[in-house]
This record gives sequence, C-alpha cells and structure tokens, in this order.
Amino acid sequence: MNISLTVNGVPRTWPARAGESLLDLLRRNGLMSVKKGCGSGDCGACAVLLNGRAVNSCLVLAARADGADVVTLEGVSDRGAMHPVQEAFLDAGAVQCGYCTPGMVISAIDLLTHNPDPSESEIREAISGNLCRCTGYEKQVRAIQDAAARMRGDRDE
Amino acid sequence: MNKIREVVHPKSVAAAWTARREKSDATRYLAGGIDVTLYTPPAVSTVIDLSALDLSSIREENAELVIGATATMTQVRESKAVLSLIGGFFSDVLANVASPLQRNLGTIGGTIASAHPWSDVIPALLVLDARLALYDGSERTIGLAEYLDDRSSNAVALITAVHIPRPESTVRAAYETFVRTTFDVSTLNCACLVDIVDEVCRSARLAVGGTPALARRVEEIETLLVGQRLTAGQIERVASAAADAVLVRDDARATSAYRRQLVRVGVSRCLERAASAGGKDGQ
Repeated sequence: MNISLTVNGVPRTWPARAGESLLDLLRRNGLMSVKKGCGSGDCGACAVLLNGRAVNSCLVLAARADGADVVTLEGVSDRGAMHPVQEAFLDAGAVQCGYCTPGMVISAIDLLTHNPDPSESEIREAISGNLCRCTGYEKQVRAIQDAAARMRGDRDE
Repeated sequence: MNKIREVVHPKSVAAAWTARREKSDATRYLAGGIDVTLYTPPAVSTVIDLSALDLSSIREENAELVIGATATMTQVRESKAVLSLIGGFFSDVLANVASPLQRNLGTIGGTIASAHPWSDVIPALLVLDARLALYDGSERTIGLAEYLDDRSSNAVALITAVHIPRPESTVRAAYETFVRTTFDVSTLNCACLVDIVDEVCRSARLAVGGTPALARRVEEIETLLVGQRLTAGQIERVASAAADAVLVRDDARATSAYRRQLVRVGVSRCLERAASAGGKDGQ
C-alpha cells in the first residue's frame, strides 16, 4: 500500500510493506537519525514528531501515518542552522555514544513547544521515555534547561 | 509480526462498525495503534482507521465528563476538565501510564478495548463509575464493568466515548500501583473512591487490578466502608479483609502470597490518602 505523508516539510508517497512500522518506513527511505533500538516502545531512540507530538515511531503502524506530518531530527534544523536544543546538547556535552540523542532531542522539542519554561521535574518526565545508557541524564537535563532559556530569549545563543 | 496490508478510512462511525463486522477476524480498529502494531495476529490484514471520525473531544455534558474514545492519554491528562475532576485524580493516574512518548499515541478507547489485566486506567475508571458509549448498529451506553465482563459480545462494537459522572464535592479518590521498574506494567494496582460527609463514609468504590486478572470492583469490601469513619484502625481492618477477599494468583511477576500482601498495602495506602485528601475542593 502507498502511504502519503509529509516528512520534514516535504510531501512524500512511499510504498509500505505489510505490517511495517513508521520507524522502518522512515529508515528504508534514508532517515537514519530515527534509531531502531528496542522495537517495542521502551527506549525512545526512534522518537519522531507525529502531527506535532513526540511518539515512538516503532509503535506507529506506517498506515497510521497516512496523511500525517512527520518531523525527524533531520528536519529540525533551519536552513543548515542547528535547532537551539541541538546547540544546547552540543554545548553541554550531553552526548556520549549518541544513539539516544535524536530521540532525546525530539522529546525536548516537543516539551519546549508546549511548555517553554519547564521545571526540572517536568524535563525529567518529558525525557523519561528516552533511555540513555551512557551519561546518567544530568547533562541532558542541563542542556534542555539551557535550550529553554535560549528559545525564550533569556540568554544569548 | 503483524501482516497488515490494507487501511480503510471510514467517514462515519456506522461505516467503521460495518467494515469491522463484515470481516471481524481479519480487521481491527486503529486508534493509537500501539496494540495493533505489537500484538495483532497474522490473520488480521486490514485496519480501520478511526482518525477521521472526530471522536477525540473532551467536554462537560449533563453533569458528566465525556471523553472521546480517540483522545490520547496526553490529551486526557492535560484537559482542564479532567484536571478538575476530584483534584486531578484521573490525571495523576494517567501520569503513571507508560512514557510520554506512548501517552502521545495511546488512546482512552484503545486502552479500554485492549483490556490488559495490568491496565492502570481501568481500575480508576471503575471507581469513577465510568460508562462507555458504544456503537454496534445503534448507539447505546454500557457500564464499564459490564463491558469488561462480556467482551466477547462487545468485541466488534466501537467504543465512541467514556462518560464519567461528575462526583459530589465531598468525594475523594486515590490510586496505588506497584511496579518492578518505572515502565514495567503493574504487578498489582488498586483505586478507591469515597464520599465522606461529617467524617463518615457515605459511599465507597474499590477496584483492584493486575491480580493478575483484569481489574474488578470489590463490592463486598466497599460495604465495610459505608457508614464508617475511616480511622487508621478501620482502614487496617478493611485492608486486611480485602487481602482475604481479592482472588490473586501466581505469575511471572509475583507469587500469590506477595500479591495478597500488595492488596493489603495498596488498599490501605489508597484509603489513607483518600481519607486525608479533604475532597476535591481541598486538594
């Protein structure tokens, strides 16, 4: 079956295989920031924005994304300039192996889009579905606090 | 892995139900899609997408809170109407369901239709005395407990909304879940709702789930609460009686002996929290 959706602002029509997840559909079409970790909604490495909300793309049947607006990490930059969340992750050193980072950034963007001034506990809850096996989350939390300040214009980028 | 090859997009509830009824073994409704993606048997080849049916509104109607079946857990949790229900009781329950990434997908109707024994949502809805709006050729409403007792008869029916009666301001509610890890499903959970006037319990509902059977009201224990003051001693007596009354079994998560202890502790904590909550105006 053919799936028509908008991916990172570009309308696409892609054939989907029987039973295929949105995760696999995106990766088959070259969007490799969407990581295949657990495949069961536990790790969050496959997070994308589906109609503006962060979801586990491994839990989304590709057919369900028909007509949807999908944003992956490849689509969050603006004409080559990194998103403030990406900048903040870089500046805070909130990356070690990097496998969880795309999903973590997507969750952070969802949070800051809906809550520009989150508390630390709200940040921790927002990324609670994104497992990081390297860093212990402290730097990610600080990066998201920093990104929130940048996006509110409270500090220079 | 599922073998879904076709998705249909009905424009009406009646059309969705007709598509499901005509090929009941080969079709499933598609709302959030989590269970469809993970658990659909290979015989299912077609999903019936509910997204065009406009079933996601959350509204007050005739002293009831009406939650559209395709509202996501996040939408329900963040709804002002739900936040104002018994001091945010149901929102707090939803905060414990899976991760934000899954709550952005999963729907209230989907989680009820899946009826997982470990569901955190179902015990809460049982004590809230929720009713379901169903469509199976015509519209009707049915109590949640009745729906769960006879799921085979209602398997093809489409849940269109969840109706929760607005409780009196004297009603308090609490919830307790026991999990091994943050996102593991509940080893056991329970919810209680009590109406306390002049320190005396006028009515009570108690539900226990993950026993590991599907959640059920424990009506013989509820009667022990009515007309009583919820003192520490009374709560302990009721919790011990609940531990004896609730049928628990062994499974991979816990032994029956351990679950019996969880019933006692969970019921005790729920009642203590509800008794001290002070009603929705005081929370």
